[in-house]
Amino acid sequence: MKAFWRIVDLIVGGIFVYAGVIKALDPVRFGLDIDNYKTLPWFVSVRFAFYLPWLEIFCGLALIFRCLYRGGLSILTASIALFIGATVAARLRGLDITCGCFGHASEHWSFPQHMAVDLSIFIALVALWFANSRQRAAVPQ
Amino acid sequence: MKSRAVREGLILIALAFLPAIGEGIYFRDKVSWQSPIPTSELVTVDQARSWGNSAIWVDARPDGEFSRNHVPGAFSLNEDHWNELLAQFLPNLSPDKIVVVYCSAESCNAAREVAKRLRDEAQLKDVFVLQGGWEEWVRKNR
Repeated sequence: MKAFWRIVDLIVGGIFVYAGVIKALDPVRFGLDIDNYKTLPWFVSVRFAFYLPWLEIFCGLALIFRCLYRGGLSILTASIALFIGATVAARLRGLDITCGCFGHASEHWSFPQHMAVDLSIFIALVALWFANSRQRAAVPQ
Repeated sequence: MKSRAVREGLILIALAFLPAIGEGIYFRDKVSWQSPIPTSELVTVDQARSWGNSAIWVDARPDGEFSRNHVPGAFSLNEDHWNELLAQFLPNLSPDKIVVVYCSAESCNAAREVAKRLRDEAQLKDVFVLQGGWEEWVRKNR
């Protein structure tokens, strides 16, 4: 079972590293994608666009190498929950948004496709939390 | 466990600042930090109208919206059928023309994307994005 959760770590971590690298390569485009949500002023969106991809990369690496693991898991879980909330809110406000999560690959995804991917990642992260807690509880102190 | 997660999270947050600052410095001259579209690339409805026949209007909205209504004389050029529409649009250009691209509203992205592609792919220089888009055009023409 431990090997299974390790594989989940690698897959989820790899997804975030991939998504982060794509966005870090084109921060201006990612800034425009953040701006599409119309929740933050541009000068904040553009600064986030430079920062968030690197946070994603470091957190993804934390999952892959199991270094600063719980910190990475916490940040990724919180950020994807926030992102799902922002996407739903944008949708309710009638905004036609491009999340830009995976660069051009996700450009033409429909809203249900976005939600399916985001919720799957969120569920995987929550599952990793529980798996990690159980593994730690099983280890004699 | 919680405090450890917080501590590790703070370390990751701090670490991510380092490459982000480096990248920000590298891109400092390539990014418009105050507005998503540099003000030099924006044009108001009144300004664009004052250009008269020198202005060539480009509608970046989807085909359906263009069919319903558009700025008189505008060409449809959206990213859904980019190659096909660009081929139809380019023969209408002459060096003295100024291109004004618009999409549905202030919040839409299509106009700046199309304007960027016209600059990058068609090597056009005088390309502007209409401030407020179609909504603003309609408001000014009521």
